[in-house]
Amino acid sequence: MSVYVTVGSTGFDELVTAVCTRQFLQSLAARGFRQLCVQCGSSEDLFTPPSTESGAFGIAIESFDYTSSPQRFIEQADLVICHAGTGSILEALHSRKPTIVVVNHRLMDNHQSEIAQELSRRGYLVSTVVSGLADAVASGAYSKLIPYPNADPQPIGEILDEETLF
Amino acid sequence: MIFILSFAGAAALALALRLYFVLPIFSRRQRSTVDARKRKGKAVRNATQRMLCIVLGSGGHTAEMTRLLSGVDLDRYSRRLYIVGESDLISLDQIGVLESKRDGEKEEYFVGRVPRSRRVGQPWLTTPMSVLRCFRQVAWLMYRHLPDAVLCNGPGNCVVVCVVATIIRVLGVKRIPIIYVESFARVKTLSLSGKIMYLLADRFIVQWPDLLRQYPRAEHVPNLV
Repeated sequence: MSVYVTVGSTGFDELVTAVCTRQFLQSLAARGFRQLCVQCGSSEDLFTPPSTESGAFGIAIESFDYTSSPQRFIEQADLVICHAGTGSILEALHSRKPTIVVVNHRLMDNHQSEIAQELSRRGYLVSTVVSGLADAVASGAYSKLIPYPNADPQPIGEILDEETLF
Repeated sequence: MIFILSFAGAAALALALRLYFVLPIFSRRQRSTVDARKRKGKAVRNATQRMLCIVLGSGGHTAEMTRLLSGVDLDRYSRRLYIVGESDLISLDQIGVLESKRDGEKEEYFVGRVPRSRRVGQPWLTTPMSVLRCFRQVAWLMYRHLPDAVLCNGPGNCVVVCVVATIIRVLGVKRIPIIYVESFARVKTLSLSGKIMYLLADRFIVQWPDLLRQYPRAEHVPNLV
């Protein structure tokens, strides 16, 4: 089983650091994960995983800074851990993969947590902060999520048509 | 002296009345559905050749806009004007992707790259200058193309686009309806753009119901993205 971690189009130093820790890797291994793939963005220098596979609790680790096709990596994963950006959240939700969203409390205007909390409240994903990530994995709550409804943007077309008809 | 004052007073009154009758915020018109209007027997204007102005902003905004646009029948809006920030290469890319799926023979699109009205975190002191630069470019684009509608969802540029569209309307040149969709990320609070757009947009769409309490003029449409 594999995990895909994505920080989005900028960086997320604390998350990239956290996924290298023994605590996190141990939680992954205990839940049966054997592969970890990390999209680091601009935080790539902070990505310093254990150098041996045994040090990483038997988990094969790969990383890169950016990808033009995040969908591909999400499709291959059994668990997605992402930052709380709408783009990443929507991609993860629509791919029907168990998702843990990590809110970055360093960001000034933290309306990011509004969407993470609401979607978590409704049972579509797990919301946490960096310090709670290992526990979020260990608890296995991500395996009890409900599927996100399909998008229906038709109303936008209808509203546009209404406004331009006359 | 009295002559000048009374002239100024009359002009101010005329402007106020014009704004009252033209701005959507003062409108108490019922929103009927497309079906209801058809039932009233009104002819549907020729649906092709309409121009849609799409305002694109960085990152999350563009990703959401792409999803929203999949609900728009672009056959009916065969001409498109994209307004993007001049340094926003990701959105520029997205336009390429979107338009590559369209028939270039029958349709056309324009890309207006405009200076950003305000960078995130830019000091408010320098903001009037950057807004004016943006305003000038946007005004030229909007006046040149006179789109049939504007669709936007949050970036700073959309406020400038909509102010320009509003001025065009107030001057009696053309009524350009503005449809604003607040971001999916906005559950309990509106963005700064959203608060301004609430006063300017003809249709103000929110994706989460809590916002209706504070903003009764808004329309809640779930599961758009």
